[in-house]
Amino acid sequence: MPSRIPRVTKTVAIVLKSRRLGDADRIITLLTPFRGKIDVIAKGLLRPRSKMAGHLEPLTMTEVLLAHGRTMDLVTQAQSVETFAVLHNDLQHLSTAMYLLELTDRLTVEHADATEIYEILERSLRALAREDGIQLVTRRFELDLLTVTGFRPELDRCLETGEPVAADEAFWTHRGGGVISSDALANYPEARKIDSHVLRVLRAYQSLSYEEASRIRIDPDLAGRLEQVMHEFVRTQAERDLKSAEFVEESRRVSLGVDAESDA
Amino acid sequence: MANTPINRLIEAFHRLPGIGPKSAQRFAYYVLRAPEEEARDLADALIEVKRSVVLCQRCQNLTDKNPCWICLDESRNRTIICVVEEPLDVQAIERSGGFNGLYHVLHGVISPSDGVGPEELKISELLIRIRDIDKEIIEIIVATNPNLEGEATSMYLAKLLQPLDLSVTRLARGLPAGADLEYADDVTLGRALEYRQKV
Ligand SMILES: [Zn+2]
Repeated sequence: MPSRIPRVTKTVAIVLKSRRLGDADRIITLLTPFRGKIDVIAKGLLRPRSKMAGHLEPLTMTEVLLAHGRTMDLVTQAQSVETFAVLHNDLQHLSTAMYLLELTDRLTVEHADATEIYEILERSLRALAREDGIQLVTRRFELDLLTVTGFRPELDRCLETGEPVAADEAFWTHRGGGVISSDALANYPEARKIDSHVLRVLRAYQSLSYEEASRIRIDPDLAGRLEQVMHEFVRTQAERDLKSAEFVEESRRVSLGVDAESDA
Repeated sequence: MANTPINRLIEAFHRLPGIGPKSAQRFAYYVLRAPEEEARDLADALIEVKRSVVLCQRCQNLTDKNPCWICLDESRNRTIICVVEEPLDVQAIERSGGFNGLYHVLHGVISPSDGVGPEELKISELLIRIRDIDKEIIEIIVATNPNLEGEATSMYLAKLLQPLDLSVTRLARGLPAGADLEYADDVTLGRALEYRQKV
């Protein structure tokens, strides 16, 4: 039988999560641009002398060498490219980053091209690390990710009639996936009035360039309301609770209690 | 697999951490061949541990005496609590001999991807304890693991405890003993430099 040389691929990846496998190994979930989301095995990662451990932590952008395995690929080398170190210095930034990772994980399927999603995640993590506003980065991330995964919320036109809806007359349905006018209420019994400030900001985030959107001032109160609407929307689309969304809210609560600072 | 007694036993062993299907089969056939007395000893030990080992009402560590011997030990420094993720961490720190204060076991770490948030951990027990039971506490050492989840947990605790006017510290981060600089990641190396010490 001819000896088969194991196929080896090199790729850049963002580590989404990792879980234990046996005593020293881990299964790492990577988001790669061309192979999409993949689970790979990293051996000996929990041993103190592991050469790869710090390079495969969630929230690390890393260059990995993968040996083709029967069920899962094996990481043979890992070298971090970007560790987003500043995100590790602040609770609100860190919890936000965890949310971006979890949402990416929930809204992507394995082994499907994820070039755009990878770009969105990388761009958002870099923006967060640059200390762009948390609301701007997170909401833009959600809107972009929802768009490429086919869950783009309709913010401007009534889902039913297709007519433009004024911000202060709009109703909002998570299940329907956007705004409706009062004429369509009969078909969307769960819809309720949406805060017109929140809708105006979301519309601006969806339509303006990033630079233009970054000029919008968000006070902590509005930030909380924006977050609430988008978290609920995302939960509905992901069809599950997102623990990291709760942690973002809880981190905001304990941080505001302490330093009462605006994050916008 | 048919729901026979032997298969049920194999499955039970297979559920143990780190036990694969082959090992589970070996254990099961070992028990099958062993004298009945040995099987009974194993079964008794399993039941006994579930019946007698409880969580200490103060520190949440595993114990067969409540409060546990560490919490009751008057010779320990009762002004300082070391917060750890798991009971095994208490054993590791005790073995190091470097700490003589009290402990608090969280029973996990904030890990959204595993569905664990602050409310799933023994955090409210810690707050109640500091407020109502161990009132002499002046310092909390957060000894969670130096990974993403451990850091999120320690930063969360620091913010949560800030209004209580305690000193909240965390374990120094840096290179593990036996590590190679060449292979260290940027975060670890950066921290090791930041927290450098005089020699
Ligand atoms: Zn105790």
